[in-house]
Amino acid sequence: MSELDRERRELAAVLQRPGVHPDPSLRLTRRTFIHRSCLTGAATVAQTFAWWPLLNTIDVAYAAEEPFKFAWVSDTHLYPKSVNTRFVEKVQRAAREVQAMSPPADFMIFGGDLAQLGRANELELGVELLNEVKIRKVFIPGEHDWYYDMGAKWKQLFDKPNWTFDHKGVRFIGLDTVTHGPDYWTARKMSPEERMDHMATLDGSVAGPWAGVGRDQLDWMQKTLADWDKARPVVIFSHNPLYEYYPPWNFWVRDWREVNEVLKPYLNVTNIHGHVHQVLYNEIGTMRSIGMLATSWPWPYAPEGVPKLTKPMIRADPGDFYDGVGWETLSMKNDRIETEYIMWGRKEVFVQSPPDSSLSQPEILRPRIADQIWPY
Amino acid sequence: MTTRTTLLFTLCIASLVGLLAALAVLVGPANANKDPVTPQQLKAYEDAFMEQVKKGDLLFHGDAATAKQMNVVLSNTGMACAMCHPFASDTHPQAFPKYQASMNKFATLRDMINWCIEKPNQGEKIDSDSDAMKALEAYIYWSNSGSVLVPGKY
Repeated sequence: MSELDRERRELAAVLQRPGVHPDPSLRLTRRTFIHRSCLTGAATVAQTFAWWPLLNTIDVAYAAEEPFKFAWVSDTHLYPKSVNTRFVEKVQRAAREVQAMSPPADFMIFGGDLAQLGRANELELGVELLNEVKIRKVFIPGEHDWYYDMGAKWKQLFDKPNWTFDHKGVRFIGLDTVTHGPDYWTARKMSPEERMDHMATLDGSVAGPWAGVGRDQLDWMQKTLADWDKARPVVIFSHNPLYEYYPPWNFWVRDWREVNEVLKPYLNVTNIHGHVHQVLYNEIGTMRSIGMLATSWPWPYAPEGVPKLTKPMIRADPGDFYDGVGWETLSMKNDRIETEYIMWGRKEVFVQSPPDSSLSQPEILRPRIADQIWPY
Repeated sequence: MTTRTTLLFTLCIASLVGLLAALAVLVGPANANKDPVTPQQLKAYEDAFMEQVKKGDLLFHGDAATAKQMNVVLSNTGMACAMCHPFASDTHPQAFPKYQASMNKFATLRDMINWCIEKPNQGEKIDSDSDAMKALEAYIYWSNSGSVLVPGKY
């Protein structure tokens, strides 16, 4: 059994015990999904791809105090304007649309990877473009923002990479899952550019399993949640998913076991994450996990490990730069979180039939070879 | 001619043929040059292939030095092939040749590679028999080695 299989079996054994689910009072709905496929032929789609959590109407004692919306934007991967204007235009579009929300969102979360190569001018460009959004903005870092200057510029612009606040009865936590990467650069005497280039290659072999929460932050999170009623809603923002989906691309945090230990007592936890540039849904232990789109480009689903609960997004047309990408609005209303994927240029975000899905053509892939530098 | 003479004659011919056959097996034809493949040869063949795979891997991941050395401009947007296709995923080399909707034509993998270079990457199309094309093709096929051939699949 491969290391990956072993990990995955452990994840299932530890986190997906029979009868353990997130509290049903905070269900996820997707208007775009319900819009069409739920009304016409949902059964076929559901049978083909997955069970999917639909609307439910159970009332709960501890819901958000009043309905509100917030917006998620992430993975803009900005180069300087002189290199790529396409990514700039997409951030402008997202910013315009977030600002135009009516009623306005209470705040916007930026979920990391503002820059492509962590340069100061890329991060500053991001700030400039997002200035269009006048509502409150909060930021967590992505690995592309960090590993050129080890977060110096990012911290100067956005302060701490992890934080918490309460809003209308919900405790929000911003987690940093990118800055605890093991040191692959010192022994190799890498320049900041080289360090960043390895980190910026999703399928590279050099930066290794860099995604993690870290003991210090786990302790901080435990302390942060200590005074919070275990049945009340907690929403955790992170760049990486907080479970193990596909470690070779860091579609995970390596300390997911410890994260689960901390979150286990809380019954209403929702993790909203970026990094994967794709629609994802999973339930692990008492936590639900929702993957967000990038504005820059979509990643294909990994060749294995896609959660069974994920209803895949439609196969994007590579000739349309606005396909497969976008941003999200999330509404918290009484008994549920409602996620709406704003995928530009698509009426149907989710696959309608197997040919719409990249998963309908199985792949067996090898890791890359030209960047192997071990052993030193 | 008696039956006995015929028999002797036949035996003589048979022995001659037998002798010649034995000689052919022992000595071999004068111009024989085929030997079983040696481990050294196998390694050389594999090295020749893997060298192309590695070159293709570097091109696919936007390595500027390799692109310069091979005299190609695969992208003008900062995008590399691997940014949409980590591990050469979602390239589906096993499905080519096929009708490719985005090009509205019956296309090979090489056509598709050039389409990606020209459209999303806004780079410069490469010769379909060029070294760079063969290297890219080698990397993509090698990455997808385990996949099952499904030519024509959408």
